[in-house]
Amino acid sequence: MAVQPILKYPHPLLKKMAHRVDSLDTAIQNLVQDLLDTMAAGPGSVGVAAPQIGVGLRICVVDVSNSRHGKDNNHGLLCMVNPEIISRSGNAVMREGCMSVPDYTGDVERATEITVRFLDSQSGLEREVAASGFEAVAIQHEMDHLDGLLFLDRVISVSTGLFRRKSYR
Amino acid sequence: MPHRELTHYAVSVVGADRPGIVAGVTEALYKLGCNIADSSCAMLAGEFAMILIVSHKKPFTKALLIEELKPVCERMAMTLSVRHLPLGEEDRKETSGEICQITVYGADQPGIVYRVTNTLATHQINIMDLQTKLAGTEQEPVYIMLLEATLPDGCEPEAVEQLLDGLKQELQVEISVRIVTPVEL
Repeated sequence: MAVQPILKYPHPLLKKMAHRVDSLDTAIQNLVQDLLDTMAAGPGSVGVAAPQIGVGLRICVVDVSNSRHGKDNNHGLLCMVNPEIISRSGNAVMREGCMSVPDYTGDVERATEITVRFLDSQSGLEREVAASGFEAVAIQHEMDHLDGLLFLDRVISVSTGLFRRKSYR
Repeated sequence: MPHRELTHYAVSVVGADRPGIVAGVTEALYKLGCNIADSSCAMLAGEFAMILIVSHKKPFTKALLIEELKPVCERMAMTLSVRHLPLGEEDRKETSGEICQITVYGADQPGIVYRVTNTLATHQINIMDLQTKLAGTEQEPVYIMLLEATLPDGCEPEAVEQLLDGLKQELQVEISVRIVTPVEL
């Protein structure tokens, strides 16, 4: 498959609710591969959601294992179809940036521990993952894309919530 | 990337707070065909302060901008100042160092802002955002300062904490340094 261009706001698809996936057919497997290729091509990217590459389906991929924040606490590559958060606790603020909103970052509060249930496109089986720390933040950020939400919808403070993007570490 | 086809101005407007200040000023800018490129507006004590970087396609002049804004500001008893930005000043210069949030608070006394920021400046730590508030009671006023700064390359947050440690003792204030790391998702 191939690296796909990342849609940028104000593309309307980024603000739409994505549809549930009915079955893991070849088209879906190809889409997952596109998401993986696109994630690998994005500098420092730890996740991509299908709406970001122009497909309004509830699929996202996350892998924080190569990032500075997630390398010691992760489940490796997660290919999530129809993901749902079934429990969440704790909260912490991180300054998030997004490939679909270039040039800016914003302080966003998210749960620090989540349990997410999804159909694993690699095994074809339903799976539950208890994620914490940066991996939990990344999953929540990517899942927001499936509901048409950007970090801009969650910025916590008017005066200091939005920042010009700096280099990521 | 310099915007050679645009000319930029720094506009500041300050005066007693009331509804309609932002609408009044931005209406004049809109009618002139100005863009608001960057802005920060806040209520400070009973005053409302607006700082805006506005741009307009060339040809355009500072005199034209003042001509339209002055009557609006006079009507609302606000002070107005306009400065033309030389090419190269319209874009924010980003540095690659770590970002720190520094919180300072303690019993109010003269020189808290000066002493802390002077220490930072001496070490080439660049302040990007700073807010102060006077809280507490009249008998026991508490001064609060929150700032965000970029460290020069190679400067670690722990070093900043150590730098400010002496001041903490001397001024008897609380100072905490927190690193902010933007994450790409």
